[in-house]
Amino acid sequence: MQAAAPNIPNDSTVDLKRVYDAIIVGSGAAGGMAAYVLASAGMKTLLLEAGKRINTTEELKSTEWPYDHPRRGEMPPGHHALTFNEYTFRKPPYAQGLKANQVHSYVQSWGGSDYSKNIVVDEKDHPYTGTNYAWVRARCLGGKTNIWGRLALRLSNYDFKAASRDGYGENWPIGYEDIEKYYDKVDLLLGISGVKENLPNLPDSLFQRPIRLNDPEVHLRNTLAKMGRTLTPYRAGVTTDGVKNKYRIRCYGRGACNRRAGGCDIHAAFDSPTGLIFPAFDTGNLTVRTNATVSEILVDTNTGKARGVAFLDTVTGRSYEAKAKVVVLAASTLESARLMLLSKSRLYPNGIANSSGHVGHNFCEHVMGPRVTALVKDKIGAKRTLDDGRPGGFYIPCFRNLSERNPKFIRGYGFEGDSGTPMLPESPFEQPGFGKGYKKAARDYAGATISLGGFGEVLSRYENYVSLDPDVKDRWGIPVLRFHYKFGDNEKKMCEDMADTAQEMVEAAGFTVVNLGRNILTEGWSIHELGTARMGADPKKSVLNQFQQSHDVKNLFVVDGSSHVSASCHNPTWTIMALAWRSCDYLAGELKKGNL
Amino acid sequence: MAKNEKERRGDGATERQGEKASAVVGRREMIKLAAGAVIAPALPQAGPKNGRGPAKAQTSAHRFFTPAEFEMMDELSELIIPTDEHSPGARAAKVAEYIDGRLAESFLDEPKLQWREGLKLVDQISVEINGQPFMQSSPDQRVAVLTRMARNESSPERPEEKFFAELKSGVARAYYTSKIGIHDELEYKGNTYLKEFVGVDVSKG
Repeated sequence: MQAAAPNIPNDSTVDLKRVYDAIIVGSGAAGGMAAYVLASAGMKTLLLEAGKRINTTEELKSTEWPYDHPRRGEMPPGHHALTFNEYTFRKPPYAQGLKANQVHSYVQSWGGSDYSKNIVVDEKDHPYTGTNYAWVRARCLGGKTNIWGRLALRLSNYDFKAASRDGYGENWPIGYEDIEKYYDKVDLLLGISGVKENLPNLPDSLFQRPIRLNDPEVHLRNTLAKMGRTLTPYRAGVTTDGVKNKYRIRCYGRGACNRRAGGCDIHAAFDSPTGLIFPAFDTGNLTVRTNATVSEILVDTNTGKARGVAFLDTVTGRSYEAKAKVVVLAASTLESARLMLLSKSRLYPNGIANSSGHVGHNFCEHVMGPRVTALVKDKIGAKRTLDDGRPGGFYIPCFRNLSERNPKFIRGYGFEGDSGTPMLPESPFEQPGFGKGYKKAARDYAGATISLGGFGEVLSRYENYVSLDPDVKDRWGIPVLRFHYKFGDNEKKMCEDMADTAQEMVEAAGFTVVNLGRNILTEGWSIHELGTARMGADPKKSVLNQFQQSHDVKNLFVVDGSSHVSASCHNPTWTIMALAWRSCDYLAGELKKGNL
Repeated sequence: MAKNEKERRGDGATERQGEKASAVVGRREMIKLAAGAVIAPALPQAGPKNGRGPAKAQTSAHRFFTPAEFEMMDELSELIIPTDEHSPGARAAKVAEYIDGRLAESFLDEPKLQWREGLKLVDQISVEINGQPFMQSSPDQRVAVLTRMARNESSPERPEEKFFAELKSGVARAYYTSKIGIHDELEYKGNTYLKEFVGVDVSKG
């Protein structure tokens, strides 16, 4: 058994008179890493989280069988999860006018939603406006890391120097050589499972015991190898051999993480509380204040520097201030941008750190939708095997625009996928008819499919942005975000190719396509929003320098995904943490030198 | 109970699957916006000929269905997923009871109306083709009713066809998440402690 959470004192005991070395806003992957690095460096650090503390070890009940739950894992009456149709045919705020006590984003329409309903927000409290966007938010200690998809990938110079390769957008102010050792540190601290493939565009990590593939997956891997493509076991941000951390134990393959919105109650999958915040707390240098909704970054009008933050108690609504030498934003790509835009003052009339006018802009992410499900004939009616006792299936890294140049689109995409029998297969819902024939078909086809779906890079565009809504406010009276965000022509062409290659690959393996999806899912579906406060060498075209430090306000850092210059097509969490570690090393050094 | 990354990849997002997921036993207490997804139309109140009118206050042990409705629901579920040589069917898995419980606590009235009207429709079709209500019909005649309802399964249009989609999806979800469905029928092997993952370790060449 893993150790219980440390006894973090009650929020009301937090000392708000003192001046902390650093205040961190947000406790997800970025905020957790900032807390870990700064507290470990001896800095007196205050971590503010807008949501509550949740005991996920108790909450997630990952081994509970559906029939032992009164609603087979579903949410109680009155909870509603937004659907694709609602995101498509309505406009935000999506919860408005819905007959439900609580409204959640689409992730709560997955199985086992009762276990994650306290982790995600109630959309009624957190409206937003503008263009369609499926925005998934978790407000609690650890944020979305409590239920993340766990695919942990590195970026490479194909991403960092993409602009030099195809002439579009900006290069990152760093190269792979600058971040490699921080990826290594993250791997060693948190644990990652995978297989070395020696790919130039997807660098290997320091892997622990890999996930194993079932027969159809191995067959597809061998087929793709002949086509010069790679299928590799899911690179999971999960410790499969264990790490030096008493709050976590190694994965033992219950697979619940793959049957539900996510979440690991043994914390083999990385989550920010057990992986970073609790160890940081144990240094004695970290103070944690939950239910603290930060509404503004406060400025010292003499120096122009940040002097702290104003926040509301999420429960009581009472307002407070906290003071620090350095402010570190890690509230998520969109919430950090919102907070900077909210922090208007005489010195910073467009919002803090926004002399470039780029805060909220260059908003990018991953586009999803094209996918294929194919029939594996050998598996029809085959003896049942254990296929879902693992934290993921496989990943097919990008093979477009590497050595060749695609005539229709720039950048690339990868696929996630799996095969085998899950606890609740699709076959009962796919097989026609009723009676004995139907029942047998549902049984025989339960483990006989393989499916994969793409994640593609959305180009960073200045005209894709968020701003503050002039009228609409959230439950706490804070102006909400208005989205101005649409996929463009490059994404549409890329998605056509994604569907074509998905079909091409499964057919090359001799599988029969039963369902080819060509539709693009609503903007936001990937939950990989990035870019709203990008890094760069030029303060006129970027918000942050290469250490995620504001060009304008030297003691303000933004260490989450908002700093990313381009989206790559690789899932961002591991990069968010490697960058945050690098920047906080720099921050701690600069503070000691008295440069902040 | 489906898998997250797969649903995230969009399996749950196509219109067809959107309908499929619309079982009342699921998370469907929602306002459906896709025109094709509205299952409960306004139906004539022509009930069964046995004189019983629209459902009234509960007198049975069931929380939502009347005794007659429950009996019919139980029979329909068993017709969809019968006991066979491999495993017990929907009746043994108490599918009707589970659906009854979910409908009883439904937050919105639509699903309740949908299922109540849907069952009436089953009787209506039975009267039409068998000359008597569903439960008074012979086993073969009952199959004929369901066969008629299932005939446009891939793109249901008529009210009874839409109700069949809802009924089957609800029964399937209840059955395949039951103890019998998971263990006896599908012989699911997972959700267990594994010292080592199952399958091929491709890192070993």
